[in-house]
Amino acid sequence: MNPRPGLDFASIPERIQTEVQRAIQRSIKGVEYIASSGPTPGETPKDVILSRGTMQLYHYRPLADELYRIPLLIVMATTNRGYILDLAPGQSLVEFLIKRGFDVYMLDWTAPKPEEKSLRMEDYVLGFIPDCIKAVQRDSGESDVNIIGYCFGGVLSIMYASIFAGGPLKNLVCFTTPIDFREMKLFQSFSDRRYFDVDRLVDSIGNVPPEMIVTSFDMLRPAARAMSQVQLWENIWNDGYVKSYRMMDKWGADTLPLAGEYFRAITKDLMWDNKLYNDTMSVGGRAVDLSKITVPILHAMAEHDHIVPYEAAKHLIAKVGSADKEEVILKGGHVSLVAGANAVKRLWPKLESWLSKRSI
Amino acid sequence: MADKSSDPLAMWHTMLGEMEKNYNAFATQAMTSPEFSKVMNQVGGVTAGAQKQFGDLMEKYLVAMNLPSRAQVVSLGERLHAIEGQLNEITALLRQVHHNSGAPDDGYGAPRPPRTKRPPSEGDPK
Repeated sequence: MNPRPGLDFASIPERIQTEVQRAIQRSIKGVEYIASSGPTPGETPKDVILSRGTMQLYHYRPLADELYRIPLLIVMATTNRGYILDLAPGQSLVEFLIKRGFDVYMLDWTAPKPEEKSLRMEDYVLGFIPDCIKAVQRDSGESDVNIIGYCFGGVLSIMYASIFAGGPLKNLVCFTTPIDFREMKLFQSFSDRRYFDVDRLVDSIGNVPPEMIVTSFDMLRPAARAMSQVQLWENIWNDGYVKSYRMMDKWGADTLPLAGEYFRAITKDLMWDNKLYNDTMSVGGRAVDLSKITVPILHAMAEHDHIVPYEAAKHLIAKVGSADKEEVILKGGHVSLVAGANAVKRLWPKLESWLSKRSI
Repeated sequence: MADKSSDPLAMWHTMLGEMEKNYNAFATQAMTSPEFSKVMNQVGGVTAGAQKQFGDLMEKYLVAMNLPSRAQVVSLGERLHAIEGQLNEITALLRQVHHNSGAPDDGYGAPRPPRTKRPPSEGDPK
């Protein structure tokens, strides 16, 4: 019998030896995995400079000898914790930016309390973001401010930028920011107005629990969690992989509840009526007209984003009135666009190159 | 190096990847149907209602047992949070005053780097 073409018999003993060693390591590391609590993300030194209910404003301590003139405010998505952008030394977008001379602030969120169920879209767009901008101006001594908005943080940021088109926003960067909510097909199905009674849900439970949000994210890729467990077991001998896995897993599970009224507005105005795309959105009686955004804008999207598909995000650049505007589509998914080994090579250098020229 | 087409581990990984892709595609198709949405929201509505009723019942039970109710604990938490917020604001103001006074310090109050940085020219080492 002839050997199968391509099968390298000489390498078999070596492969077996490697696999046996890994199997032993899996057993040892598997016990360590269960017994330990995992790495702690979000450790870049920072100070809370403003805190009000669900809103937290951090300032990261500078690590460079010189700073760019314009401070940078990162607006995090309201469903997730900001430490996805500050996972660990060498894997932290925040650390990368402050080492490159950016003065970085982050608007991060904590779980809204039951009493905060009445927070509305206007509290976020006309209250929290402008208050943070003022605090950044006061703290930095600069009148201009740049913003990076991630996912729904991007949605809030473009609403802010449109309503406060006269400034002080100088440059805007959006990561995976949805505009056309019809294209978020599964979320559309989950919130189908014929069957989803958002009023009943919000009126009965107040804030939308994180379990519901995690489940809806998980349902976008139902096999992903099981497959990630298989991959973890295969790679449990690899400390680097396990560390990254644990941080991502912790972050994924650390989803925040959403304030009830805010969720109601997202469902009705965006998921049902698609008002942002249809140019009929208003917040607190103030029209959101994306064509009024004239500041330089960069929109970074991910090729394999299963949460905000390209079709849902692609209209942003076409709709804004900026002359200086650019969109980039990078390999990766919704999270790997901003965090992890690929982000270090793809998004981060692009971001630095775009922002540094506009931060002086 | 062994050819991927005949490497059992590579074949296993490919098979797993394909399985995941196919399962996700199948499930996604099923979940976009109106029937799925109807059933999901009926179940979700019942669950949310039951959770709310259970929560209300527990609240009454705690009051009867002379234990602090959730509302009271949350209220205490709120007050602590408000105090924390005020402390943060006071700390920020103190930092500002310290910073403006120009006094040296080895902590956060140390003067911040000047805002004079220029973007690197093309080809500059980072």
